[in-house]
Amino acid sequence: MIGVHDLAKQYHVGDHVVHALKGVSMAIAAAEFVTIVGPSGSGKSTFMHILGCLDRPTTGRYLLNGRDVSTLPPDELARVRNETIGFVFQGFNLLARTSALENVELPLLYTRQGVVKASERRERAMRALEAVGLTDRADHHPNQLSGGQQQRVAIARALVTQPSLLLADEPTGNLDSTTSHEVMEIFARLSSDRGLTVVVITHERDIAAYGTRTVDFKDGLIVSDKANDARVPAQVG
Amino acid sequence: MKNFLRHPVVDTAIKALSRNRLQTVLTMLGIAVGVATVLAMMAVGAGAQRSIEQQVRAAGLNQITIRAGNWRPKVTDSDEAVAHQGDARESLRHPLDRLNDDVLPITFHPEDDPMEKHDHPTARQRLGDLEAGLGSAATMTFDDAEALRQLPGVQYVAGGIHENVRVHLDAKRWFTRMHGTDVMMPSIKRAWAFSSGRFFTAREQERGAQVVVLGQVVADKLFGPGATPVGRDVALWNQQFEVIGVVTSATWVVQPAAGDDQFDAVYMPYTTTQRLLNLSKLNDITVTAESSGDISRLSREITKLLRVRHGIGDNEADDFTLITQATKALTTGGLPPSVARAVASNVAELEKVTLEQLAMTMERASRTMTWLLAAVAAVSLLVGGIGIMNITLLSVTERTREIGLRMAVGARGKDVMRQFLFEAVVISAAGGLAGIVVGMIASIGIARLLQWATVVSPWSVALAFGIATAVGVFFGWYPARRASKLDPIVALRRD
Repeated sequence: MIGVHDLAKQYHVGDHVVHALKGVSMAIAAAEFVTIVGPSGSGKSTFMHILGCLDRPTTGRYLLNGRDVSTLPPDELARVRNETIGFVFQGFNLLARTSALENVELPLLYTRQGVVKASERRERAMRALEAVGLTDRADHHPNQLSGGQQQRVAIARALVTQPSLLLADEPTGNLDSTTSHEVMEIFARLSSDRGLTVVVITHERDIAAYGTRTVDFKDGLIVSDKANDARVPAQVG
Repeated sequence: MKNFLRHPVVDTAIKALSRNRLQTVLTMLGIAVGVATVLAMMAVGAGAQRSIEQQVRAAGLNQITIRAGNWRPKVTDSDEAVAHQGDARESLRHPLDRLNDDVLPITFHPEDDPMEKHDHPTARQRLGDLEAGLGSAATMTFDDAEALRQLPGVQYVAGGIHENVRVHLDAKRWFTRMHGTDVMMPSIKRAWAFSSGRFFTAREQERGAQVVVLGQVVADKLFGPGATPVGRDVALWNQQFEVIGVVTSATWVVQPAAGDDQFDAVYMPYTTTQRLLNLSKLNDITVTAESSGDISRLSREITKLLRVRHGIGDNEADDFTLITQATKALTTGGLPPSVARAVASNVAELEKVTLEQLAMTMERASRTMTWLLAAVAAVSLLVGGIGIMNITLLSVTERTREIGLRMAVGARGKDVMRQFLFEAVVISAAGGLAGIVVGMIASIGIARLLQWATVVSPWSVALAFGIATAVGVFFGWYPARRASKLDPIVALRRD
């Protein structure tokens, strides 16, 4: 599914050159649930951005579904993000004054075929909301939803184009521990039931334990990469 | 329409614009002022244009005048012609300015004779344009006029006799032109309006009645402005004439002025002139064609017919001169086409200069007004455009995270750009629509208050709207471009 080879990324901050990634190689199989941990500045967010096609590596190759996407032009990257990748952010990033349903519809405005027509958008968005158990909140605006519900709307938005890769950057950072676990269970279920490849960045060890595999970043390099034996059992509901 | 409003780009734009409602409305206002000014500007310009054209039409593009004699205008300006033009310019001065000079006391010293100071070109000046030969000989007859009337395509025919006369009212007198003419004349001179009374009738013409129609200038000079001369008697050639009407200009382009050929003049039936002056000839015949496109053909027909009637051999010159509207004034150059047409449509030499001057004066005035409005329009559109740029930049800043999110879920740079350009155009187009309404009202206001002819054409409305939209695109371009170039990672991190 994902193969990265000797991925490096440098930023120029003023006169300084920051080496965010110093040569990362790893492979992620389809339907794997990988959690990435590491202190801030470890390069995990940069790695995530490259995986999410929001950024391109300075050197190295990134193969997504067998296609080298490390050198694609911006418009092509936008296509890849739309079709193959779903994002979940720490801050939810829902549009205010816009219903949950319309928020979920958002990626369907930018498909290769152009704007998906209204009735189909609605139908697909409802199905995505169903997957996160929020059909009854479809008409609510973000400010009428709890944090957990908002993050579930964001997950539905990530799912609506039926991507094969789900990327979450600190998805539980703004949530209390109960709702954090609920959200992580949704990720686990999507990975096991739907065969989605899920990559979650976190700095909490108990959240990282949801993954089938946890990768540790430090100073732009992978310092550990191991399967989780003691996986927290996914609870239904 | 409902589908259009539900299109996501439109929907997003409406939501975004209602976020900063007051700023949006103020920005629209700026554009509205600009567009209203553009529209008013074009309305004034088009109004002036139409006035000239109406005047041209009124003067008669379908008119042919056949003068007795075969004189030709001189090609180069003689001293006389220059003096003549000088006189004509003098006649352009406002009547009030001239009043003092033109009060004509009755004097007995020959050197104080008002004739000598009059605006009319002297006989010497008039003759300066004549070639030797037949000159202004009266070679045409009433029968010629009747024969021309029978030609197919002819609308009206009016024979004319023209003399300089003194019109007496008790002790006052006024030296002016006398036109002995046909009852058809008001139909030919469509720029005429009767300020009181009427023209003479066919019956009065038949019996050579001693009735006279005064030009407005003559009426004012003899009876004083605002008086009603109809029913009063004036004397010409020591004969009593009853005033039956006063004729003035129907268009504001041509104002009756002392010395012009139309309104500083008196009209009577040509039969009366022939009877009293013991004449049987006509000085000229004016013919109008049913269609102005028919002028050339009709001119040839008339020439052929008159040559036959006058028994002119193949190698001999015409003993008449045929003048159509598209004469040399058009080809002398240097004039805008509209003015040239206005000039060309007035055949009498004196009148030609007068109208030329008038048309140029009006053209200058309307151009000044147009430039003034253009400057106001340009400034307000610039300010409005900067307003659009400002509000769109504000919107881009406020919605940076939204832009980042849209990019993360697949929006390309051009999708983002389209969104913000559309929002800018919505503001400018809405402002444009408001401006069109205001501009139309302003145009009517200008017409009412300033007595300035204005024409709002659908074309100018479309252009004004187009300009508004273009302003939106132009000033929305930079902010939209900036939005489209945002790095999604940076944009998503923005608070």
